[in-house]
Amino acid sequence: MEDLKLTLKQQIIESLNLQGMTPADIDDNAPLFGEGLGLDSIDSLELMVLLERNYGIKIEDAREGRKVLESVSSMADYIQQHRKI
Amino acid sequence: MNPVYISAAAALSPQYTFDADELLQNVRSSDNGKLFVTDADYSKFINPVAIRRMSRLLKMGISTGMKCMQLAGIQSPDGIITGTGRGSMRDMEIFLGDMIRLKEETLNPTYFIQSTYNSVNGWLAMQTKCNGYNQTYVHRGHSLEMALLDAQMLLNETNSKKTYLVGAFDEMTDEYFLVKSKKAYWKKPMSGSLDLLNHSDTEGSIGGEGAAFFTVTNDRENTLCSIEDIRMSQDPGTNEINTTIENVLQSHHLNIKDIDLVLCGMSGDSRFQPLYTNILTGFTARTSIAAFKHLTGEYDTSTGFAVWLATELFKRQEIPEIITLKKGIHSEIKNVLIVNHYILNSASILLLKGN
Repeated sequence: MEDLKLTLKQQIIESLNLQGMTPADIDDNAPLFGEGLGLDSIDSLELMVLLERNYGIKIEDAREGRKVLESVSSMADYIQQHRKI
Repeated sequence: MNPVYISAAAALSPQYTFDADELLQNVRSSDNGKLFVTDADYSKFINPVAIRRMSRLLKMGISTGMKCMQLAGIQSPDGIITGTGRGSMRDMEIFLGDMIRLKEETLNPTYFIQSTYNSVNGWLAMQTKCNGYNQTYVHRGHSLEMALLDAQMLLNETNSKKTYLVGAFDEMTDEYFLVKSKKAYWKKPMSGSLDLLNHSDTEGSIGGEGAAFFTVTNDRENTLCSIEDIRMSQDPGTNEINTTIENVLQSHHLNIKDIDLVLCGMSGDSRFQPLYTNILTGFTARTSIAAFKHLTGEYDTSTGFAVWLATELFKRQEIPEIITLKKGIHSEIKNVLIVNHYILNSASILLLKGN
């Protein structure tokens, strides 16, 4: 699980071009949107693309997507349960 | 139509035009046929959360627009009108490349969103909280001219004081350069850019890019110059351009001797050089002749650089040696005629008058 979180953080940094950030700067449980990393709606689309491209996960329900994208931990949990790649 | 006035101007170009105090004293050159802009510190004009996602063209356009507003001392304009010949080429190339690579699945939205032509306008509107008129013209070599004309018409329709942010931006990419080299856009072999105009006997030019923005108003007070006339023609013959110049001068009660400076867009391309040669023979020893594409390269909205340059010349009343083709015997720089031709055979003529 820790390896998955580390990989996920690296993918988030690369995908969202979070310049100057390292995986250590991202708290596992901090909110990705708003107060945490301060991501916005376009970033959420990019994260959906990240999940589909790297893990074969397609989230159709927006409400479910909101829960999955709350934090790195929630994303990693969801990936572990639903990954197809 | 009544003239409109430029109260501030900013340009990002291959030269040090964004921040430098001196005008074209220390110039950059290139010997690979491409002139890329000298990047500014974009983080001064764009918030750090947004900038990470932006392509180079977005940063160029937004920063130049914001700098222009800063120079004009305006927080929010009454509207934003821009022109771009190609929009965000790099984002479009990435998006189209991904479509092929990923078989049209899991495409990143950012590149698609930003590759639309009106991205710069949208960002500028959000940054300045401008809810007014917002328009982007994509008319190849006439894109900036259309934006300026739109501003002029809007300002002529109102009696209240209004200021529009008007600008243009275009970027060059290696892929664009490669594609257009197959259409004989560029010189073979490439000459050093500063030497470009000495090679007007061979086909092709050098690739360029840039952004230029102006605050355009209907209130003459505290402005740099007026835009008296904007004319455009597609596939013009030499005679047509000459006739247009005569018409412009006539409608403003000017004689050819009243023009202090002709700023022309000679690109070093032998196919279009006769247009300029013919036009310039009509001017007397009184008129100075200057050219600029050896400093910027050829691109759709290079007229923006010419208009910015004219505003600087009005301020400084001195023509740098690097752009001078012929030094005239005029006492001041008051009436400037910009004659620009783009490779897709679009020509534009602008008459500017210093205040």
